Amino acid sequence: MTELSDELLVAYVDGQLARKQTRAIDRVLEEDDVLNARVIALKHAHARLEAAFEAILAGEEAEISTIVAEPLDDGFWVPWRTFKIAAATAGVLIALALAVLGFGWPLTVPSIGSAPGVGAVPSVASVPDQVEIQVSPKPATSP
Amino acid sequence: MQTEDFYDSIRLGLVAMVPRLQRFADVLAGGRDAGHGLLRRSLHHMLAQQHRYQRGTSLDVWAFGEIYHQWRQELSGESDPMSLAKIDDVAFGALFDDAETGYRDEPIVTFLVALPPQQRLTLLLVYGEGLEHEDAGRILDVSPEMIAARLIRMSTSLADRLSDRPPAQAAAIVETLYPEGHRATS
Repeated sequence: MTELSDELLVAYVDGQLARKQTRAIDRVLEEDDVLNARVIALKHAHARLEAAFEAILAGEEAEISTIVAEPLDDGFWVPWRTFKIAAATAGVLIALALAVLGFGWPLTVPSIGSAPGVGAVPSVASVPDQVEIQVSPKPATSP
Repeated sequence: MQTEDFYDSIRLGLVAMVPRLQRFADVLAGGRDAGHGLLRRSLHHMLAQQHRYQRGTSLDVWAFGEIYHQWRQELSGESDPMSLAKIDDVAFGALFDDAETGYRDEPIVTFLVALPPQQRLTLLLVYGEGLEHEDAGRILDVSPEMIAARLIRMSTSLADRLSDRPPAQAAAIVETLYPEGHRATS
């Protein structure tokens, strides 16, 4: 039986040896079942290590792809976020257009029913100069 | 390449490598949660210090090294570094669960969880990432001979364990690949 160190066998399994050394070990392994079994055991150990590390990587990639593929929001025809932005923009534009057309601000449309004068700043002329307040004498308290 | 383009390419390169960097941090820190935190802090540091990256250096080797340095720096700031280096068996084992089948290679997990972080990383870098001994040594701040010595010890130990073979005796070793002076002690 030929004896080769584990150092040499691990280097052989890892492909770290020179071509000449690799061929020499190939020839030894063809004739020595014990050494061949040892090499198979080392290759098996390495394969299981590689598979274990591959499982971690697959888990990380799956987690990242889940985060990336997750939809931001739901909606009927367009995403809710787009719908909200579009609705808000349309509302602001309509309000500006009505204000420009003379409906004032806040909006006073008779058919809609906003009370006239609500929210309107009273003119200076309509404010009375003096306000009369009637003060009645305080009733005397009996002892 | 302009300087800004060069740094943009670093950022894009790091983004493309996130799953591999995450695996490295997970194995080092001993779990997914701890690994996420370590990777986040390391990426902040890398982006802030990207001017230290030298053109021509392999980006993954640089990034792995930065994560390892970040971990060592955080350990050195602890009053009890050894307690921080200990890992939770459950969290570490969960890393190896197959996403589809839920299968976990328990003997491999049991073997890895008992190893020091530097030795786990040695196995990951060589057998998981397929790096050369020189690059693995550059990342872990050790010589290629040290990487080879670690691999020999761990590979034979794992093979013995998986095949129920008693550990090899020193007297059985009649040939050596490396001179005695290059043999590692850890």
